[in-house]
Amino acid sequence: MNALLKVEGIYKSFAGNKVLHDVSFSVNAGEVHSLVGENGAGKSTLMNIIGGIHRPDSGTITLDGQSVSFSDPWQAKQKGISLVHQELSLAPNMEVAQNIFIRRQPRNRLGFIQWKKMVDETSALFRRIGVDIDPSRLVGEYSIAMQQIIEIAKAISMDARVIIMDEPTSALSGSEVDRLYTIVRDLKAQGVAIVFISHKLTEVFKISDEISVLRDGHMVGNVRPGEATPQDVIHLMVGRSIDQLYPPKAEIIGEEILTVEGLSNPPHFEDINFSLCKGEILGFAGLVGSGRTEVARAIFGADRTAGKVTLNGKPVDNRSPHNAIEDGIAYLTEDRKTLGLFLTMPVRDNIVAASLDRFLTSSRMLKHHEIVAKSREYVEKMEIRPFNDEVSIISLSGGNQQKSLLAKWLSSTPKVLIADEPTRGVDVGAKVKIHSDLRALANQGVGVIVISSELPEILGLSDRIAVFREGRITAILDGDVTQAEVMKYATQ
Amino acid sequence: MTQSSEAHPPAIGVLPSSSRLSKLLRGRTTALALLSLALALVLSILSPQFLTSTNLTTIATGMIYDLLIASGMTLVLILGGIDLSVGSILGLTGVITTMALQDGVSIPIAVLIGLSVSVLCGAINGFAVAYLKIAPFVVTLGMMSIARGIATVLTSGYFVSGLPEAYLSIGQGTFLGIPNPVYIVIIILLSFHFLLKNWKPLNQAYYVGNNPKAARLSGIRVSRMLFVGFVISGLMSGIAAIFMTSRLAMGFFQFGLGSELTAIAASVIGGASLNGGSGNILGTFFGVLLLATINNGFILLQGSPNWQNVVSGGILVAALVVDAYRRRKEERE
Repeated sequence: MNALLKVEGIYKSFAGNKVLHDVSFSVNAGEVHSLVGENGAGKSTLMNIIGGIHRPDSGTITLDGQSVSFSDPWQAKQKGISLVHQELSLAPNMEVAQNIFIRRQPRNRLGFIQWKKMVDETSALFRRIGVDIDPSRLVGEYSIAMQQIIEIAKAISMDARVIIMDEPTSALSGSEVDRLYTIVRDLKAQGVAIVFISHKLTEVFKISDEISVLRDGHMVGNVRPGEATPQDVIHLMVGRSIDQLYPPKAEIIGEEILTVEGLSNPPHFEDINFSLCKGEILGFAGLVGSGRTEVARAIFGADRTAGKVTLNGKPVDNRSPHNAIEDGIAYLTEDRKTLGLFLTMPVRDNIVAASLDRFLTSSRMLKHHEIVAKSREYVEKMEIRPFNDEVSIISLSGGNQQKSLLAKWLSSTPKVLIADEPTRGVDVGAKVKIHSDLRALANQGVGVIVISSELPEILGLSDRIAVFREGRITAILDGDVTQAEVMKYATQ
Repeated sequence: MTQSSEAHPPAIGVLPSSSRLSKLLRGRTTALALLSLALALVLSILSPQFLTSTNLTTIATGMIYDLLIASGMTLVLILGGIDLSVGSILGLTGVITTMALQDGVSIPIAVLIGLSVSVLCGAINGFAVAYLKIAPFVVTLGMMSIARGIATVLTSGYFVSGLPEAYLSIGQGTFLGIPNPVYIVIIILLSFHFLLKNWKPLNQAYYVGNNPKAARLSGIRVSRMLFVGFVISGLMSGIAAIFMTSRLAMGFFQFGLGSELTAIAASVIGGASLNGGSGNILGTFFGVLLLATINNGFILLQGSPNWQNVVSGGILVAALVVDAYRRRKEERE
């Protein structure tokens, strides 16, 4: 079959660093070609080159047999190549329809925008995809999951022939992922070529016709799902085999450390009761929007709520995160970029951000040499690359950013750590490291809560599992239950 | 090595490790110092009056007000805010202090009343921004108008003069031939610079400006920090008002008109970003110095004062362009 999109011999370096080395890649019309690899392997750069955001140093891009070159994303879009970013590129304060028709609003002869036509066409588009989104509402009113779908709809509306989806499911869960699969299948049937980037190998194997693996800027393998196993692909990705994905479960569970009674903040969650023991990992399972993050934020004092939280037998009056941290409660946010990182600040400042009080003289002056020592200790311990805590954290890969963020909370020596989606958008190597760090923390007697939308992660990591549905805990299960059982409580 | 100082502007530096200090020395501050020096050299060739002690004293005394206001502004900018009301607060504080003196209030009490007014104005700004969550631009634009308006109403546009001799000596007195306020401002600036770098309660400003949400979730009391920032900015304007009214021997409702622009320009030239999270007092000092030297050049060379604004504005825009270029380069890497 003739490839619809074909890139050949792509080289690209940034400031002397070779990011892509002789990479070739092609995708056929009506097929899904997945691209996998660890963070920093060059996937995003390759996609940005195809999407017209970066220009290759050398190499060719062929679309439908014709050689093309783009100097900006708009040119790529006009040729039918649309990039759906991991970080959404929608304007939250504008209406859905305006976002869909950005830069190409229907206009009459005088150049005035035809609002009604725009809204009608947007409605028709959503009907075609089968989602219920109001074109006149603001994009910001919709959840991240819905925004993802709006973004994809935007690509469809531009008659895209190649759609590149960069981690489209990282913010979705359950039914939303299924809906995305349906959309992908429809697009395939219409002859659209799809490039799919994901860290979740299960879904990659489920929807792909072909899988390519990038490692350190080289294309190291190309397989068809029937011919290889996820283990093979992981092996290609990391260049070694990873046998043990999850650390062993807890051996000794200590006394109760955190008790939550009658925690309520309608409509987000109501009457939440559970307890957490020293040395235990308690998993919070449930669909996106089931109230898990909101409960975590409430315990951390980030939102005002009714109810009682007891730490080590003493009621804690957590009016703010400041008080919570003083009490020894830490919360690793799910939203790394917006709520977690100080992006343009050095790794070091990020690592010590929550524990500055430990590095003060009596007159509250910062002890810089101790800060440096502590931050270097964690860079080493957490295997944060590069081994330089003075670079801006924005320059690190997702996995290393996440490890730095975890280091921030570990260095605050918490009694209770709530890790919200601790491995979202993180490569396999970093994932294993984070899992083992969380277990190591629990083994030191810390109570750990892990929130995750990836059921295998919850099952692999947790000693007990609290299942959330629509703002309530529907069951607290032992860690050795099956996925089906958890799903039953999460959905029914 | 020059590459790395390009990629990581020293302005962002929070914890001055030895290498970051050397970056700072190689970076923008040095460029500004050299630029000021070069300008001074040119001016001393073009005008024999430039290097006279009278002229240098004039530059120094002219700078002190801007230095105070700009250092407060730098803190507000680091916090991710902006304070448009600084000039008006200067005007109002000056008017109220001098009116109190006219009414026979003793000097310490009058100064205290004046400074309280400036702190109160800053506190209102801070409260509205930090706790009512109103955009700093809007809040301080309102305060700019209100404070200037009150100063106008109180004086009906007349000068407030006839101040006691002892009050005038605050601004007019000298030590070793240099006006007293210069010493005081140098002390204030050095302490401010040192505290911002090393004192945790102030140093946290960088975290707040960089990402207020993440700062809150890291246990930093963001609202309190914002509040304090605006209070300090108001206080700095107040101190400037005391020096200005005593130096010029009067209060006038138009004192400080437009000084918010000079302060913002100097801070940004010195490395502060309008996006928050960066800036430092040393850089701001050189920003003020550069603008003051240009100002002085125009006077000495009898250039049109109208052009002077064009040049100052041009430098501000140039600083922003360099910044934007640097940021884009960083993002690409």
